[in-house]
Amino acid sequence: MDTTVPQRFVVPIGPQHPALKEPGHFEFTVDGEQVTGASVRLGYAHRGIEKATEGRNWVQNLYLLERICGICSHVHATAYCLGVEKLAGVTAPPRAQAIRLLVAELERIHSHLLWLGVAAHEAGFDTLFMYSWRDRETVMDILEALTGNRVNYSANLLGGVKFDLTPELTDQIYAGLELLEERTHQYVDVVTSDATLLQRTRGVGVTTREQAEELGLVGPTARASGVERDIRAEAPYAAYSDFPVKVVTATAGDLEARFVVRLQELFEAYRLIRAVLEKLPPGDLQARMPRKIKPAETISRVEAPRGELFYFIKSNGTDQPERIKVRTPTLCNLASVCVLAIGSQLADVPMILAGVDPCFSCNDRMVTVYSGDTDHTQWTWKQLRQYGIDYYRR
Amino acid sequence: MNAIQDLLTLMFFPGGLFVLALGMSYEWIDRKLMARVQNRVGPRWFQPYADIAKLLVKEEVIPADSNRLLFIALPILALAGALTAALYVPLAGFDPLYSFKGDLIVTLYLLSLLTVCTGLAGANTTDRFSLVGATRTLTQLFSYEAPFLLAMLGPAVAARSWQINEIIADADGQWLLIVQPVGFVVALIGLLGKLEIAPFNAPEAETEIVAGALTEYSGRGLALFRLGRHVELVVGLTMVAAFYMGGVNGLPLFILKTLLLLLILVGIQSLVARLRIDQTVGLWWRWGVLLVLAQWLALVIWEGVQA
Amino acid sequence: MKRHTLLQYAIRSLFRRTATQRYPAERTPTPERLRGTLHWNPDGCTGCCLCSKECPANAIEIITIDKAAKQFVARYHADRCIYCGQCVINCRFGCLTMSSEEWENAALQKQAFTVYYGDVPNVERVLEGFVTQDSASNSPA
Repeated sequence: MDTTVPQRFVVPIGPQHPALKEPGHFEFTVDGEQVTGASVRLGYAHRGIEKATEGRNWVQNLYLLERICGICSHVHATAYCLGVEKLAGVTAPPRAQAIRLLVAELERIHSHLLWLGVAAHEAGFDTLFMYSWRDRETVMDILEALTGNRVNYSANLLGGVKFDLTPELTDQIYAGLELLEERTHQYVDVVTSDATLLQRTRGVGVTTREQAEELGLVGPTARASGVERDIRAEAPYAAYSDFPVKVVTATAGDLEARFVVRLQELFEAYRLIRAVLEKLPPGDLQARMPRKIKPAETISRVEAPRGELFYFIKSNGTDQPERIKVRTPTLCNLASVCVLAIGSQLADVPMILAGVDPCFSCNDRMVTVYSGDTDHTQWTWKQLRQYGIDYYRR
Repeated sequence: MNAIQDLLTLMFFPGGLFVLALGMSYEWIDRKLMARVQNRVGPRWFQPYADIAKLLVKEEVIPADSNRLLFIALPILALAGALTAALYVPLAGFDPLYSFKGDLIVTLYLLSLLTVCTGLAGANTTDRFSLVGATRTLTQLFSYEAPFLLAMLGPAVAARSWQINEIIADADGQWLLIVQPVGFVVALIGLLGKLEIAPFNAPEAETEIVAGALTEYSGRGLALFRLGRHVELVVGLTMVAAFYMGGVNGLPLFILKTLLLLLILVGIQSLVARLRIDQTVGLWWRWGVLLVLAQWLALVIWEGVQA
Repeated sequence: MKRHTLLQYAIRSLFRRTATQRYPAERTPTPERLRGTLHWNPDGCTGCCLCSKECPANAIEIITIDKAAKQFVARYHADRCIYCGQCVINCRFGCLTMSSEEWENAALQKQAFTVYYGDVPNVERVLEGFVTQDSASNSPA
């Protein structure tokens, strides 16, 4: 009947939407249930952390940067510590490095179990969601007993770590790992055999190896497409050279492969933690750090649960950094959502989005785009105010 | 005198308020069982009542670009449909309050009224989530309705009547689910689709389209829709229990059989992921309809041979 | 290792103890290392201010009553504190500890979040406003 030009029917997802627990805005143009276009807008959780680091000393920044992400707080602190230690020419003692690895792998377990729950919830499989979050409590309790906090563990210090292992804690970790290992076997069974879940994951959001390379995917998202990319194996940091990691990959590149890769990484994490507990090197926990660091610059890379985390740190001879730049894995992975969403069903979009394990608060950072010949890096208060007025008038 | 008695039966027992209370209690049992399966504590017994009471006292926001009359009338119509349907089924083990030839068909259509109203309510607003939800609700209606109807007609054919109390009288004591297993399964799963619970909750998939067709509803309207849903749960369970599980004579038997069915529903609901709407339609038309049609044909031929 | 299908597991879950609990009524004991409210013990404090200098949230202020007699008062802002524990590591005299019991720190009034530690007469002098040392001299930024 209606022969006029079909109107664009846009379904907005975010910044407030039940599928996203953090603010990000996606616009999906749909034709019926088919997605024909996708765009993303980020920056809702921009907090100016990079700028704020420039007014604080090296120790204070450790805790500020730890708060970039609520899920992978330890890797942020580790990346920062490793970078600053490199600048100061200090090496943390082996026992400290091993404990860093231990906490990082415990954190990976908690992050992947959290993701499993979120992804199951997006698929409408709430029982799996509840089970995986219940089991995640085990690892959260271990982290709480080990470090004294459930989210921002603050296990790192510049030049070492704060907390040592006690025999009781070792027993608690062993017991927790045993329980989690049994449960993870069941999760692998469920995600590879449950018919209704497979209908939502198998062959959905397929990323080929070429696409993964081209889009620059990182972490488990890339490894599910067969890209063997893992900083822990490529450029071992902390104690990863003493406790080598076996990189888990899959070739299918669909959502099922992402489930499987993340779950198999859990087994790898259990193995690593057991190895560390068995062969924990003796010694001190902290090396002495100077308060001021001579002018230099460095980069530091670690493997966060979501992929490669990158820090650039520049010192200027004072007790404060000159510049710190952070690149989080979500930013690398997010572009794939817009590519994969086009042509898929609207119902699969939240699944595809959850499939990269996005973390928006990690991700939102200031980006300056140079266009034309005016200098956009410096705005006067008047210009900024005018920009605000013009922006909201539209 | 008779008029007052009629009014009392309609308003309080076993129609009206009793059905509403029963519906909310069943909703609580559903939620509690679900929680226990998921290892949670779950809500207290008064939670559904508290939810409805809260919604009823809250402000109702009517979107500016929707038809005001329709927006207000649809929830009332939906609840009225469900409550009317309750009058024709043997609630709580009592005989149906009203009965006439062909009331089976009327009841089934009254039950669909809720879904149609939900779909219309979604289409009445310009909200994107509501529109997508409305499309999905109506698509789903067309997919499960025919098989569900055929599944309900199975016992009717066996009883050679379109009247609910005659069918029940005929099926009394015989567990029809043994001779018509396909019909039973389709009816039960059809009920899942009708109530939009997992795996057929694509029309209100919160991670995709917020609350689906009812996204714009708040306060009173939402309370009425939810009450309608609760009543429909009871009516649907009663019908399946009465038709396929050897009747529901008396309160204890009614409670036992409907709770058994509810337990099965909770089991299905908790162990599956949500189906996409295209998968739902495919499932119903590729399997549901064909299977139930085959059984129906066999039934008709069998009845013909016997006659 | 026993493996169950999801159905078996769900049925078993029906009869298991729930993982969630009715929180204020039931509570699990906190681990020993839990980082709760900070406590400051005036004995041994030399007023080096390493705790307040490296506090990421400027939550600690050390107010000098009498430098020679080592009389100090600590003003602790529980609402600014991020419970990182850096001050406890920094203090070489073991004056600072974090309680593993006090962690339910909600309050209706903002005053409850400013806590004074020290000898009673010293705290009273600070509260009465006799000591007006500016806190900014102790904390950077």
